[in-house]
Formats: sequence, structure tokens, C-alpha cells
Amino acid sequence: MSASAEATRLLPRPLIVTLTAVLCAIVLAPILYIVLASLNSDVGVASGEFWPSSFSLDSYTRVWTTADLLTGIVNSLIVCALTAVASALLGTTTAYVLVRYTFTGRLTILRGLVGLQSIPGTLMLLPVFVMFSSAGNYLGLTVIGTRWGLFVAYLTFALPFSTWVMVTYLRGLPRELEEAARTDGASTLVILRRIIFPLSLPAIVVAGIFAFLLGWNDVLFASVLTRPDTHTAAVALQVFGSSQEGGAVPVYSQMMAAALICAVPVVVLYLVFQRYLVGGLTTGGVK
Amino acid sequence: MRQRPLWLLAPGGALMILVILLPLGLAGWISTIDLDQYTLRRWVQAPFIGLGNYTESLGSGLLHSIWISVSFAVLSTLATIPIGIAAALVTQNAYRGRALVRAVFLIPYVLPSFVVATVWRTMLQPDGVVNNWLGADGSLWLSGPRSYWALILVEIWAAWPFIYLMALAALQSVDHEVHEASAVDGATWWPKLTRVVLPYLRGPVLLACLLATLNHINNFTLPFVLFGAPAPDDVNVMPMLVYVTSFQSLRFGLSAAMAVVSLIIIAIPLFAYLRAVRLDVHEEGGRR
Repeated sequence: MSASAEATRLLPRPLIVTLTAVLCAIVLAPILYIVLASLNSDVGVASGEFWPSSFSLDSYTRVWTTADLLTGIVNSLIVCALTAVASALLGTTTAYVLVRYTFTGRLTILRGLVGLQSIPGTLMLLPVFVMFSSAGNYLGLTVIGTRWGLFVAYLTFALPFSTWVMVTYLRGLPRELEEAARTDGASTLVILRRIIFPLSLPAIVVAGIFAFLLGWNDVLFASVLTRPDTHTAAVALQVFGSSQEGGAVPVYSQMMAAALICAVPVVVLYLVFQRYLVGGLTTGGVK
Repeated sequence: MRQRPLWLLAPGGALMILVILLPLGLAGWISTIDLDQYTLRRWVQAPFIGLGNYTESLGSGLLHSIWISVSFAVLSTLATIPIGIAAALVTQNAYRGRALVRAVFLIPYVLPSFVVATVWRTMLQPDGVVNNWLGADGSLWLSGPRSYWALILVEIWAAWPFIYLMALAALQSVDHEVHEASAVDGATWWPKLTRVVLPYLRGPVLLACLLATLNHINNFTLPFVLFGAPAPDDVNVMPMLVYVTSFQSLRFGLSAAMAVVSLIIIAIPLFAYLRAVRLDVHEEGGRR
């Protein structure tokens, strides 16, 4: 080991090894449990087994008929993809103006973007619910229970978050290209389309993915604003889970399989975009 | 002076006014009217009762929920600080397999809350695997006084990587010269850690703590999926109370008042956070 690496090492080696092992064990024990339990039988999981007495993939085939998981996943994909595209595109445009131009109220808007991410969801849900139900009562529009309604509701969180992600990215982008294009007589729209969007594509993807995840991970809004046929994956799993207790034999193995299935899209997104996403995690607000 | 294309703000701004500012204002108004399932259909005509909902909320368990929420959030944050910093310290130096360890450390944070809660709910069943390990057959984790500690434990498990990420970012910004200077001084690892390195982490970790505390207070998914609604009294955090009051008791006005009160409580760490976070491109000149 080189002297400089020695110098930056902050803890003695045995301590590093011990701490790493302990932390990994704490993280991985429940993860291992989900995988093992999903391969176990329902009776085995209900009796508190950690290591299955028999392994099978039954739970993965049976869960689709036990819980309405497929409808949930399809609905989640539709609503979250829409949310992701809308908030990433609108967020980029808004962030561009906020970063490049000064005007009265700009700091208030920036502060609002950060502050809004910490507004409790329970505070937003009630007025959104009342607005949606009065759209039904006063205008004859059905909003509650539709995917469109859920999409609009998710924008309350996704839009400020995506805009903030784009603000933090765009303020690091050099102005020279835009200035050159402007001297050549390009309009703002052309600059946005030909320079800003291509250059900030990685950040736009990140903003979109985070907006997608905000929707995918939501239980609060979906539990109130959906009906059984517009359930999201999260609500399908939550309803499945809360219907288990008090029954004859709870189908916990299938529930763990369902939980893993719901986690798959998220884990895949993280693995593919890990490098970009970790930076975005520290801007907060996602969870 | 060239034209500022402020009209570009219009689509995003109009949408934000419609889906954020309008509902926020509406929430304030609902908190002053007597809105329930009978008056919901014609809610514009619901009777105005001023601060009636606020005084009633004080008698409906709001103070208890505030106490549960705040103590839960503070305890969770305090417990995640040492774990997060320790994790950042052990992954600071490169070694074979470090990328894998870093990926493992992110798992709890990356998994959706509703998945985490579903798994722990199964593990904490009276006949579940946790009681099997502890040899405590039939102990209740999901109701009764222990549920509070169950909630904190699961929250710690799920949330510590956030502190880890922030601490790691701060560690990486420590200059190499600082390490070398203290190595030349012959400092052993403990004084070097506490006197030289940890002071660098104070600012970023404090910022992370503010944000983490806000996230703990606002966490609805974890208690909702872990315990179901209505939650047991010991884990009746503010978001659960607001949710049950609106969508199970259908006392919308009362619940809006409770939500406004919870916003006021959140405002304290939120303003501290807003003052500390870098908002603008031009930081110099003390303009924030």
C-alpha cells in the first residue's frame, strides 16, 4: 500500500473490516430473508422459518392470481412514465429561465422549489381530493379514480423536485455555447431545443427517473385517489399485506414474492443509472 | 439589454400554481370550515367556524401525535448519524470490492418504503422470524408499546444511507494535504479522526440531519404499511392522524387544521434548512 493511501486511511484496518462486515450483515439479513421467504412455502414463512424447509418458485406463479398485481404494475408504469416525462420537460424549461435570467421573485421561487419538497403529503392530499371531487360535483368530470387524476396529483411533488434537479445541473453549464448561438441570431426556443436539451440530457434523465420513483413509491395519494381497477403496484401490495392477518394461513411467501416484484423496476433503474443517480440522491427529498 | 424570455416560465408556473399553490391555499381555507362527508358535495357552502377545528384538534390526540412524531424523528436522526458516518469512513479508501460494498450500503435507501415496510411487517409478526431469533415467542411488535421502537428500528434501517451519502461526499472534499499533514505530525487515528477529519463533516452532516428529520416527520408510508390505519396509539404519528381523520373519520375540516399545525412544526427545521442550502448561482456577497 502506498504511503499516500496509508495517509488517507482514517480507521485501523481491523476496525474497517469489522464495521464493514457488521453493516453489510444488517443490510443484507432482511434482503436475504425476502429472497428466501419468497422461495419458501406460505406455511413455512408463517411459522417463522428463515431457511426454507423446501424451495420452490410456486409463489412467483401463484401471486399473480392471489393479488391484483399485474393491473397495479401496468397502472404504475403508465402514470409514473407520464409524470416523469411531463415533469422532466417542464422542469428543464422552467429551470433554464430560473438559472439564466434574473427577475423579481426569482429567489422566492427557488426557495419555494426546495421548501415544497418538505411539505407533508398529507397536507396536499386533502385539498387535491376536495378539488377533484368538486370537479365531479360541479363540472360533471370524474377525476377521482382515474389515472389522469393520479398523474396530476403526482405533479405536486414531481414538478418542483425535477425543476430543482435541473436548476442544480444547469447552473454548472457554461454559457458560452448559448451566447455564441445567440450572436448568430438563434431564438430562445432554438437554443433550448438545439443546445440546452442535448447538453443536459443526462440530468433530464435523472430528473425523469426521480419523478418516476416518486410516483412508484407513493402509497398516500394512490390509496385515496384510485379505485380497484386503477390501483398502483404500491397499493396492490399494501392491500394484499393488510388483508393477510386474521385469515386462515397468511400467504406470506407470495407476499414476499410480490414485494420483490415491486422492487425490481426500482433496482433495475438504479443499477443502470447508478453513476448519475447517486449524485441526485444527496439533493434530498426523494424519500 | 436583451429580451428575457420569462414567458417560458408560463407552462411550468401555471401548472405549479394549479397543483401546488391553489391546493395549499385551499387547505388553509378548509381548516376553517366545518367540512365532513355530508357537506363535501357542496363544500363551498360549508359553515365557517373560524378556529373551531384548531381548538377541537387539540382535544383529539393532536398533541400526543406531535410528541410521537417529533420524538420519533429526532431519535431516528440521532441514531443514524453514527451509523452513516461510520459507513462513510470505512468506504473512504479504495480496496478491491469497495464498489460492491457501496452498492450494498445503498440498498435500504433505494428499496421503495412500501416494500421495506411489507417485509418488516412480515418479519415482525408474533410468529415471525424476528421473534424466532430472539426466542421471544408471540411478542407483539406491531401493536402496543413496542410498536414505537419497531417503527424507529425500521426507519433507522431504511434511512441511514442518506447520512452515509452526505458524509461520504463531505469526506471526499477533505484536502489531501490535511491527511498528509496530520500523518507527518504522527497523530494516531483517533485524535486525527476527532480533531482533524470530523470537523470537516460537521456542516454537511448537520444539513443532512435537518433534511433527514423533515423526512422522518413526513414519513407516511412506513407507519401506514407497517401498522395499517388506524395506527396503534403508540405510533399514531401526525401523518397517520391526519390521514385517518380525513379519509376514515371523514372530518375533512378537522384534519386540514391538524395538517396546518403539522406544517407549522415542520417549518422550524425547514427554515433552518432553507437558510443553509445553496440556492443561487451567485453565492458571494451574502445574498441568499
